[in-house]
Amino acid sequence: MATIAPRLGMHGIGKSFGRVPVLTHVDLSVDPGEVVALLGSNGAGKSTLMKILTGLYSRDGGTIRVDGEEVDFKDPAAAVAAGVKLLPQEISVMPDMTVAENIFLGDLPLKRSLGLMQVDKQTMRTRSRELLDQLGFATIHPDTLVKRLSVAEQRIVEIARALAGKARILVMDEPTAALTEQEAKMIFRIIRRLKENKVSVIYISHYLSEVFEISDRIVVLRDGRNAGTFNTADTKRAEVLAAMLGNTVDDLYDVGTPETPGAEILSVDNLSIPRKLDGVSFTLRQNEILGIFGLVGSGVEVLGRALYGALGPLKTADVRLAGQSYRPQSARAGKLAGIGFVAAERKKEGIVADLTVRENIALPFEERFERGLFVSKDEESRHAIRWIEDLGIRTRGPEQKIRTLSGGNQQKVCIARWLVEGVRLLILEEPTRGVDVGARREIYGKLRELANRGYAVLILSSDVEEVAGISDRSLVLDRGRLVGEFERGAKPAELMAATGNDPAFQAT
Amino acid sequence: MAHSVETHATGGARERMSALLGQPWSGVAMLAIFYLILIAVFSVLSPFFLTLRNMLQIGGNVAYIGLMAAAGTPLIIAGGLDLSVAAIAGLTGVVISMLFGMGVPIWLAVALAIVVAAAIGVVNGLFTTRLRLNPLIVTLGMMSIISGIALVLTGGLTRPLMVPGFNWVGSGRVAGIPIPFILMMVTFVVLWVVMTRMRFGRYIYAAGGNAEASRLIGIPLEKTVIILYVISAISGAVAGTILGAMLGAAGPTAAGSQLLTVIAAIILGGTSLNGGRGSVWGTLLAVLILGTLNNGLTLLDVSSFWQDVTRGVVLMLAVSLDQIRTRALGE
Repeated sequence: MATIAPRLGMHGIGKSFGRVPVLTHVDLSVDPGEVVALLGSNGAGKSTLMKILTGLYSRDGGTIRVDGEEVDFKDPAAAVAAGVKLLPQEISVMPDMTVAENIFLGDLPLKRSLGLMQVDKQTMRTRSRELLDQLGFATIHPDTLVKRLSVAEQRIVEIARALAGKARILVMDEPTAALTEQEAKMIFRIIRRLKENKVSVIYISHYLSEVFEISDRIVVLRDGRNAGTFNTADTKRAEVLAAMLGNTVDDLYDVGTPETPGAEILSVDNLSIPRKLDGVSFTLRQNEILGIFGLVGSGVEVLGRALYGALGPLKTADVRLAGQSYRPQSARAGKLAGIGFVAAERKKEGIVADLTVRENIALPFEERFERGLFVSKDEESRHAIRWIEDLGIRTRGPEQKIRTLSGGNQQKVCIARWLVEGVRLLILEEPTRGVDVGARREIYGKLRELANRGYAVLILSSDVEEVAGISDRSLVLDRGRLVGEFERGAKPAELMAATGNDPAFQAT
Repeated sequence: MAHSVETHATGGARERMSALLGQPWSGVAMLAIFYLILIAVFSVLSPFFLTLRNMLQIGGNVAYIGLMAAAGTPLIIAGGLDLSVAAIAGLTGVVISMLFGMGVPIWLAVALAIVVAAAIGVVNGLFTTRLRLNPLIVTLGMMSIISGIALVLTGGLTRPLMVPGFNWVGSGRVAGIPIPFILMMVTFVVLWVVMTRMRFGRYIYAAGGNAEASRLIGIPLEKTVIILYVISAISGAVAGTILGAMLGAAGPTAAGSQLLTVIAAIILGGTSLNGGRGSVWGTLLAVLILGTLNNGLTLLDVSSFWQDVTRGVVLMLAVSLDQIRTRALGE
């Protein structure tokens, strides 16, 4: 068809982890100077595809061509050498180095002086200056220490570094996640400059409005397959959303009937945290699952832990827990007040990898298993076995090290910890992140069961399908504010649309 | 995910090997085997080695080091580190001898020295937990302060510490067993019970295994670590008391050179410097191994300079082995 080869052509890419296929025959092509947005919900395969492109993962099948030539990157360095560069979501700059040093980090210009090879600071400075001017940021000085720059400016330095390395294909993963709208505009300006210079950009973002503003084409993945390619200019958002999410609610969430909600367990009035949350108010009742959906940076990652107390004492918060005034203080105080908390990052913040399943379950309420001076291992085991059976945790037994369990089963252990007398409210962040589909369904089923047994369940998640699917009520958080409330049965697309900041779209 | 797939694929002998190495007791078992080999080798090389007398001698000699290593083990498991412990031992001897010289009854002097040590432990604990400073820096600084003070107090000289009832603690025997050895063994047993049977023990492993997770499930992390620093400091004081009683003298730098042995023993014993893993029995075996190595080489008339080299080699071998073991566990 095309007479000239595209800048990038990925064709028939396949990849599985064990027996789980994560990518099946995925195609992606990008022309020189084109911005292609790569969209898909969590677990759709975007990041796996990009990791294959940039040499972090090997692929099981398919071909990759750059400017028509077949390539096979063994590691990220090989990809960078070929001009393929990934800018990860987390900005990676050296805060204590200057702008110029950061830009030329990978390839410092050298000169010989006094018989020694030394960094040629003058060349570095002038070339940094040129690059920054070219990007339209004459305001950033090459000698400034990077830590003195704003987050957005650091982002720009990172992009300049990629260009100094002669990047021809730039993958940007959520480049505006930590930025304000104003700052996001700066990034767009740069992307337009990049286009003029014939750099190809693969742009990953959850924000549809951004995608429509900046991209030429949209490629949607769903469950590891191509789910649609759109020319941005003649496409409606609803079409893209439909491709991303599908219109049918999965039977993944068809896990039992909710009970009528009971007494009010949690009421939050006007919760604010500077720069993170802005006047958040909601209530949660017994037997109810309340889901709060928000994209990365919306505040969804702090709301749950703030209420639990893990962020320390909250100055401005009017919170009531089971009718009593409650002031988030510390994790320990939250626990003693009857809150159970399951953190998003299971490995870092959840499990104690070297301990057994039994110990991991018993840990928060160890004092309840004491008989006299000593902890009764029998009591711990009895309790652990009870919940291993109840939650269907697949393990050889309570003495198995938790590290050897699958993600889903580890997550069940993290839930089982809190199922003791006195805990009434369960707060779960990203309850099924990194959990395979089978275990997801089981976890949803158990959460429903726990709600029906009388727990109040609060879920905070950046997975829109999850929130729409499992919640009795769902709220949408955007840039620290609650921007939408939906009853059970709302479509994922409706929730996603609520974050859009675009009144025209709300009509569809 | 990708990781587990690869291990499955290789399979066979390697998998069985890693399963064996992955057993919780495998580290301690390896040490025990090494200990037995060491004993066998020295028995062949020296006729004086494998005698009850010599064995008890070793036990008595390593006791004060073992005490400090015992208390240091749970601390390192919980993610801490105490480099000031040997300096505390030195200061303790000095404080006891000075107080006694001022007319304070000897046992009261001992008690006061222990209180001083406990206070130092609290300071170590507060600096590392509340201010979140690196324990390496904090306790290194503390080590320098304490050994400095001990030198100032004594003018660098060794003071006599001859008190009949008191010296018995260092050189006396019950049923033929040296008192310091008995004290050490009691410490090991008590710590073992605390670490495996009590709530506090659970907190130790949790704190070192994953501090952030422990904090998020409301475990009293800071309190646990501070108490462990206090226990470590007190072990230093007891070790200093025993050493002073053994030698009949208190030198400001008496135990300082043993700091490396203490840390080496803990690591050699299989306790991870990253925290979360380890046992006191591994430490005990390591203390005995290092003590036996010293004793055996002395009997063979090897210069003490070479003994330092040997100790270093053994330590590095052990740490390499542990690293291989950790990889086998699939970290």
